[in-house]
Amino acid sequence: MYKLSSINELAEFRGRILREKEVQQDRPTLVICAGTGGQASGSNDVIRIIKRCILERGLQEKLNLRITGCQGFCEMDPFIVVHPGQHLYPKLRMEDVPRVIDAAMGGYVDGELIYKDASEQRGCHCQSDIPFFSKQTRTILGDNQKLDPIRIMEYLEQGGYAALEKALSNPDPEWIINEVKKSELRGRGGAGFPTGKKWELARAAGNGFQQKYIVCNADEGDPGAYMDRSLLEGNPHAIIEGMLIAGVAIGATRGFIYVRSEYPLAIKHTLIGLRQARDLGLLGMDILGTGIDFDIEIVRGAGAFVCGEETALISSIEGRMGEPRQRPPYPIERGLWGCPTCINNVETLANIPVIINRGGEGYAKVGVPGNRGTKIFSLVGKIRNTGLVEVPLGTKISEVVYGIGGGPVDKRKIKAVQTGGPSGGCIPASRFDLPIDYESLAEVGSIMGSGGMIVMDENTCMVDVAKYFMNFLKDESCGKCFTCRKGTQRMYEILDAITKGQAELEDLDLLEELALVVKDTTMCGLGHSAPNPVLSTLSYFREEYEQHIKNKKCNAFVCKELVGAPCQAACPLGTEAWRYVAHIARGEYEDAYQVIREANPFPSVCARVCHHPCEERCRAGTSGDSSVAIRALKRFITDRIDPSVYTPKRTAWKDGEPPLVAIVGSGPAGLTAAHCLSLRGYKVTVFEAECEPGGMLSCAIPSYRLPQEVIKKEIDSLLDENITIKCNTVLGRNLTVDGLFEDGYQAVLLALGAHKSRPLRLENEDAQGIYPSIEFLKSFNVEGRELAQGRVGIIGGGNSAIDAARTALRQRDVESVTILYRRTRDEMPAFLEEIEAADRDGIQINTLVAPTRIIAEGGRLKALELIRNELGDFDESGRRRPIPIAGTEHVIEIDTLIVAIGEDPGIDAIGADSLSQIETTRSNTVRVDSATLLTSRPGVFAAGDVVTGPNTVVDAIADGKRAATMIDRYIRGEEMAQPEEPQLPKVYLEPVQVEAEEAEAISRIVTRRAPVEPRKLDFTEVEVALSADEATCEARRCLRCDLDYTQPKEIETLAGAAISGGD
Amino acid sequence: MMVTLHLNGLKVSLEEGATLLDAAKFLGFPIPTLCHMEGLSPYGACRLCVVEIGEGENAKLVSSCTYPVQEGLKIRTASSRVLRARRMILELLLASCPQSRTIQDLASAHGIRIQRFRQEHEDCILCGRCVRMCEEQMMAKAIGFRGRGQARSIGTPFDIKSDVCRLCGGCMYICPACQLRCTYSEPERAVCGGCANLMSPCVEMENFDDLMCYMDPCVACEIHKD
Repeated sequence: MYKLSSINELAEFRGRILREKEVQQDRPTLVICAGTGGQASGSNDVIRIIKRCILERGLQEKLNLRITGCQGFCEMDPFIVVHPGQHLYPKLRMEDVPRVIDAAMGGYVDGELIYKDASEQRGCHCQSDIPFFSKQTRTILGDNQKLDPIRIMEYLEQGGYAALEKALSNPDPEWIINEVKKSELRGRGGAGFPTGKKWELARAAGNGFQQKYIVCNADEGDPGAYMDRSLLEGNPHAIIEGMLIAGVAIGATRGFIYVRSEYPLAIKHTLIGLRQARDLGLLGMDILGTGIDFDIEIVRGAGAFVCGEETALISSIEGRMGEPRQRPPYPIERGLWGCPTCINNVETLANIPVIINRGGEGYAKVGVPGNRGTKIFSLVGKIRNTGLVEVPLGTKISEVVYGIGGGPVDKRKIKAVQTGGPSGGCIPASRFDLPIDYESLAEVGSIMGSGGMIVMDENTCMVDVAKYFMNFLKDESCGKCFTCRKGTQRMYEILDAITKGQAELEDLDLLEELALVVKDTTMCGLGHSAPNPVLSTLSYFREEYEQHIKNKKCNAFVCKELVGAPCQAACPLGTEAWRYVAHIARGEYEDAYQVIREANPFPSVCARVCHHPCEERCRAGTSGDSSVAIRALKRFITDRIDPSVYTPKRTAWKDGEPPLVAIVGSGPAGLTAAHCLSLRGYKVTVFEAECEPGGMLSCAIPSYRLPQEVIKKEIDSLLDENITIKCNTVLGRNLTVDGLFEDGYQAVLLALGAHKSRPLRLENEDAQGIYPSIEFLKSFNVEGRELAQGRVGIIGGGNSAIDAARTALRQRDVESVTILYRRTRDEMPAFLEEIEAADRDGIQINTLVAPTRIIAEGGRLKALELIRNELGDFDESGRRRPIPIAGTEHVIEIDTLIVAIGEDPGIDAIGADSLSQIETTRSNTVRVDSATLLTSRPGVFAAGDVVTGPNTVVDAIADGKRAATMIDRYIRGEEMAQPEEPQLPKVYLEPVQVEAEEAEAISRIVTRRAPVEPRKLDFTEVEVALSADEATCEARRCLRCDLDYTQPKEIETLAGAAISGGD
Repeated sequence: MMVTLHLNGLKVSLEEGATLLDAAKFLGFPIPTLCHMEGLSPYGACRLCVVEIGEGENAKLVSSCTYPVQEGLKIRTASSRVLRARRMILELLLASCPQSRTIQDLASAHGIRIQRFRQEHEDCILCGRCVRMCEEQMMAKAIGFRGRGQARSIGTPFDIKSDVCRLCGGCMYICPACQLRCTYSEPERAVCGGCANLMSPCVEMENFDDLMCYMDPCVACEIHKD
């Protein structure tokens, strides 16, 4: 290469390259990301095929191929961007490559392969249309896709080394420092010290005689962060140029790039870059005839996290143990070998050429006061678009997480984001409106760090997160400071005990106390920020810690010792789903029924309408495949086995007359409690307001989902001589709580359910033709009255809205049914399977609309005025708020309107007299002590929807079971709130042999449904039970998580013998 | 050059290059130390000598044995924040190395009666006194630190007998951890409390025949003098 010897030569050379570039530009170019992330996803194979295609077709002169470093959109790797059109083809397989080349040569877009936005399923033809890119400001990162990192010419084509030319042309280096000061650039390594100020101090240090050094800190070791690596891999010359300018500015003649050995590609590209710069005369002695000497060396770190700390880094470069020392003196005064040393982060240095090119003031236009410029974040974790993201400082977290990151994977809820690497903190979703800048992050207990951003959703256990980071830190602390070494180890021990359910509540105080002391008393930044994961999770997610300690529960299903088999832990009833699935696989159907019935008094009901939390948590599903169809298997058993095979254990009341218990409400909660109390020998009277028992089961759930005879059979099997049911008895009308106690009942359980639909609060709501959803369903299910006619509108997006819609569609005089919902389909609270069923039935779902006016004529509903909504900011639940668009009001004509925007127990209507001394909440439910279900009045308990608001059947049954236990303890005078223990699988069941091939071949069974046309008209059940073969096959898919906790008898006895025998 | 600073509200002037610990000693304020030793270079590993500097939001704890004196610095050697930190450090030390007499004495002087962590019995707190002794006073450099974090330990390279070791015993002489503890009657407990109650070893001589008593002067013997 031709060596440049003056600034003018550099200017000429650059000018020539820029002119030549314009000539070449019309040729189509394939740009492919081959950074470390891209290579791991297979971009090397794609490159190989591209090269082969180019050679085979003789396209060498017609098509360019550019292999670049990481471009940031790592989720979509390996991808190709085709220029000039910027068409992005994501996740390419080798066989797709010829099609991409065809499209590039033909100048068209391959509609099938082109990137599609996940939420809208529309193709984004141009890279700049993709939200991931369009919402970023890619000042630094944007260059990565424009150049091949191992070609200095391509860097020059992008205007590279223009800043160096400018810096060298100016005789006074103070000018550079002034520009950097004006730009308000702050160190991107994490602490945010103003770079201009640091350079000024460095320039002033050493009396003008001493040797000075520049160090580029590329010791990036945080789990989940890789922006420095991508910069060095993708654009090494930008860092070299930045270091050169820094060297000129402060008067240093030597530079070091301290990079970890784990970054081989970064080292390789940087070494190539350094050689090229030296060959071109940009590094070395007397650079471009200016008399300035500057050269750069690479120092490879061995991968100790602590060596990112500047004093430890200095020790490491000097060849000593990487151990921090006391500051002051700061490295700027006494650094490498006692000389003034200026240490800057990779990203800081990459910003320098931009500042010099644009001028300090030009640079400072981006960002917010005090936090100028852009910052690169590595967005990883439970989010749709992982990758590198560059945004102006001051951007809101929600914009990064939801806007650029595309929000959560599936329908899960994002819980928190962890910033700043292992020593950063967790920021809860409720604080996502926080702007990302150094001060705001510090305020909520986190740090900017080098820019890692790990997104966590409801499947992330915050205690486990803190434990993970503490485990990392206890190994990566240098160990010099006693408090850092022992402190991190002790914090880890306490966290480990918590995740195993072996900790006490006092341990939380100790943990916090210790964390604060470690923060206070350590020497370097690592120790100072090490407690952040603990402190921030403790302050925002303390209840999760308490859940682990008090209830021995990990709600994210992560902590193995507390969860056991996920299906069992997820079931509110604790049904041993793994056990009955195993019995089905072995063909032992009666045993399976025993297991189901043991936990659940309503097996046939739950087999049809349970929202199956067990399947959500099934490990077969969470580990990539689809979950086992547990509910369908339950249906298979309950349809096949007669309930009489199960005889519940009964205990008679021993001491005298059995006590009397009154239960108000005969829904799933009330009847379950009655059944459980009866088994313990109590005399129970159940009071029901309707003419039949069953509560919500019989009046609200349509019979195409749950046939009436199933309910009736199930209820009949629960009734015995200990239970008396009194129908048509209403609390507040026929009975009062005081009256029940006067009648000799020793305890009262309120299980009234939530039967009152919330009103819209619009004028004319009392017009004829408008019905609350519960009233509508009840009058049909109980009395057989068909209230809907003509064009039916349903307002709401929950399960009762869908039930009402599907019931209405099955009524005689109905023309069409439309659901009107204020947000989008993704946000509907109804179960997905129900929404899909409504679709199949032919119900229209009209989203993003809200009612504004009811138009009535002569007291009868005529039309409804609606307003269009658009989605605004994200609220606390991670859903975007619906915001009405003014001027979009429009009127639709309807004949029936069903309001399904939620229910409450309607406690206020019962009247204070009959509920004396029982506190209610603002949302119209009964207030209970969550541990004991006891209300504010001794002896009165409450369970089910009357406490929780509208909830699922299985939760109500679980509540009923718990209420029975609590009432039993209350009457016997025992301690009611007893500590809970984790439910781990206890029974060993030998697994069936499944060959690997078979396991791969079978996939989740698709439950059959009655064909649409005939079923639309009537109320026969939709879902059809499995056949025996199907059930066996499905049951064999179970991964048998329980086997982690159980052992065959022989091994157990052997192990026992070994322990007791000693040898 | 002399540097003037404020220590617990008192003005004091010291030579440049002195540490905050020197300043406190000069004025007679007690600061407990463990890894610090006259004649060895300051290291700052045990963190026991922390003091609070600065004011308001910028107040922070630093180890006084390594922090150089600075003009106008305001130092508090016994603020509540300092004391809280010291007590926690001592509790951590007791939890790891309960048999050290030095640690027991320090803990008892700071009123620590229990430790709440899982009890360990380590024989080294990695204060690095021996490493510095070997290097700086004995000019041998036979031992040093290895590993990091939990795996950090002291020893000779590759754990083989060092050629440069002269078996001078200096490392053992200054070790604060290996002096035997007072076990009293419950060897498993970190803090026996023997010194605090009057039933000390010498009173029940027949049960504790060969035990040394570290109390000076011994409260129990004073009472039972005659």
